[in-house]
Amino acid sequence: MDESKNIIHETRIPTLAENTGLFKKTKMRAQRTNRRYALLFLGPSILLLAVFIFYPMLKTIYLSLFLTNGSGHNTVFAGLGNYAALLSSPGYLASLMSTLIYVVGVWALTLALGLILANAASVKVRASSFFRTIFSSTMGVSISVSAIFWLFIFNPSIGILNQIAAFLHLPLLNWATDPNLAMISVIISTVWMNLGFAFLVLFSAFQSLPLSLYEETAIEGVGPVYRFFHVTIPLISPTLFFVSIITFIEAFKSFGLIDLMTAGGPNNATNLLVYHIYQNAFLNGNYSQASAESVILTIIIALLTFLQFRYLERKVSY
Amino acid sequence: MTSHRSISRFLILISVSFLVTAGLPFTACRFAQAANPKRIKIVFWNEMTGPAQAQLTQFVQKFNHSQSKYEVESHFQGSYEEAVQKILNTHGSNASPALFQSADISVSQLYHSGYITKIQKFIDQDKQFNINKISPVARSFYSQKGQLLGMPFNSSQPVLYYNASLLKKYKITPPPLDPTYADVTRVATQLYQRSGKKVKGMTMEVYGWLFDQLVANSGHYSVNNENGRIATPSKATFINPGSIAAMKWVQDNIKKGNFINYGSGGNASANEIAAFLSGKLGIFMESSAEIGQLTLGMKNQKLGVSYYPHQTGKKANGVAIGGAALWIGNDKPAAVQQGAWTFIKYLESAQNQADWQKATGYLALNRDAKKTKTLQKLYQQNPALKVPSDQLARTVANNANSGIFVEGIVQERIILNTALDQIYSRSNIHTTLQQAEKAMNTYISNNNRANGWSN
Repeated sequence: MDESKNIIHETRIPTLAENTGLFKKTKMRAQRTNRRYALLFLGPSILLLAVFIFYPMLKTIYLSLFLTNGSGHNTVFAGLGNYAALLSSPGYLASLMSTLIYVVGVWALTLALGLILANAASVKVRASSFFRTIFSSTMGVSISVSAIFWLFIFNPSIGILNQIAAFLHLPLLNWATDPNLAMISVIISTVWMNLGFAFLVLFSAFQSLPLSLYEETAIEGVGPVYRFFHVTIPLISPTLFFVSIITFIEAFKSFGLIDLMTAGGPNNATNLLVYHIYQNAFLNGNYSQASAESVILTIIIALLTFLQFRYLERKVSY
Repeated sequence: MTSHRSISRFLILISVSFLVTAGLPFTACRFAQAANPKRIKIVFWNEMTGPAQAQLTQFVQKFNHSQSKYEVESHFQGSYEEAVQKILNTHGSNASPALFQSADISVSQLYHSGYITKIQKFIDQDKQFNINKISPVARSFYSQKGQLLGMPFNSSQPVLYYNASLLKKYKITPPPLDPTYADVTRVATQLYQRSGKKVKGMTMEVYGWLFDQLVANSGHYSVNNENGRIATPSKATFINPGSIAAMKWVQDNIKKGNFINYGSGGNASANEIAAFLSGKLGIFMESSAEIGQLTLGMKNQKLGVSYYPHQTGKKANGVAIGGAALWIGNDKPAAVQQGAWTFIKYLESAQNQADWQKATGYLALNRDAKKTKTLQKLYQQNPALKVPSDQLARTVANNANSGIFVEGIVQERIILNTALDQIYSRSNIHTTLQQAEKAMNTYISNNNRANGWSN
């Protein structure tokens, strides 16, 4: 009870009495108890983070400096040898390139389609709530289900896409199996998966837009396109920025769909960085190389997120 | 108060029911064990799926019924690649298996891990078992320095498949039983031309294993020191007279328009087989393990099978086997190891190997298997099924056709797939293979350093 009084004490407006020794002592004690409380409350989460996040992170950096032998032991110190080997390996650089294509593709399409759908669903028409549910429904679909679902759509012989193409006398495409099309196929399915979340968040932002502004623009006689880019977008920019960052990071981390749909193939066309790490660690048993790849991936994500904060956030009006 | 109480009651109920259900499997296990308290449990890890899994389960059940000393407990462990990691990571713990199935790609890894007891030890101790009954070329794959490390179990070899009905339709003489590259090119060209370019002559999946087998059949080596058989390999030797001839042959067919590329991976082989079954493709090369599926799929058409092709004007050296072997871990008591060995012997018997071939398409490794009624009847019904067995039987084992004794075969296959893909896109054979060698050399030298085999 005594300590809680001290906490209240501290929030008072500072007075001259603060300079007296007695008060200093109380303040120090209050700080100490505050710290104790902070530790008590933060302790469990710090402990969990330390065990499950910080320790593995440090261990990954440590492992990345060694060479792994065939039995999975890290035996010889290699310094930055793993990093040098990676950055000079054509396979890894190709994976880096395809990851960038994938991420930019997923990111841009998810944002664009999310905006279009959210805008469309905000129009008050009959059955609009039905469409809202449909548009956000992909949030409830698990990755494995959607992977199988898309594989059926893309199947070269029985897939609906090729059946439609055959009906319309269009050329038949090997969607998920052609090295040139596989990337497009996984981008389409990832965007479809991510769209539900992007739509829901953006839609809620649309809902909170002040009507008065729109009435004003109507009086001013502003066109809908101009209004969208100069009124709507700035107003929802904080939410858009949030969705952008989340989609971006999620795209980098994509694994499930890749594993189930293409397993990195055909001919490594969809072998994204995360999948490359998985292959190296759990199929090749090359833990040190996989660790080095993880460290590089972390740096890339951190750097690109930082750049987004630096350059995109400027355009955000809170 | 009441709501608080009901919530806590609810929580208690949930935790009690959770405890009860969580305890169930343990009780079930105890009952199962209690039935045979004196039996020694042999935990057996395997990676078989589909018909092979069904047949293996049957073997385990029959073995457990046939005697009362051992109880084999079979656990499925996912893909070969994942299983190796689990085996290496659990070694020495009580979660590790006594007996496990591990693939051709892991031989060197398991040998150097020091985690296995060589099968040779059990053969030497067991006077009743005659190892000479087991296919020599399969044994040499899983041996090092004359010592058998793992017992070959599910084995296959690459063969050449052709659509015999399609060849008949266009009046084309089928390739001989032991075809050369020129023979295959002749058939592929005729098929492509006579069908009005509607039927593609041939394909070879982008699959490093098939490349290695072409090299093996030419009597050359994919890595130095005779595929790592006489000393630790230090370099890849993807460029050799055998590989150059093979790749020239492929590019020649690509130039003629006979060759169609289906890419790599599971989808590629599925598409290749689909095209073959629907009469849009005449010839392809794949594991003999596909034969069952192909026979089923051909229905009204006749399946042709021949040996894996070899260089024109040279004698075929024979191809290596693929598949997996059975290994005994060295972290279990002698009695458990003995049980594992007893089960291995059971699986390798002539009758069980014959049943295994009939059910799965894997080749029966026991020489006496061909004398069983099971296989005699099978060959009578479908003579094509005999071709892979004959190819296995006639192969004289040497260092070129006993697989590559190097760690990182997974890596080697990925590198070769990239190279094959480029060669199929008409890039220069020599430069492409040189790049592949360079990538593999980096891997080998790193691996040798990590193992302390070199500086």
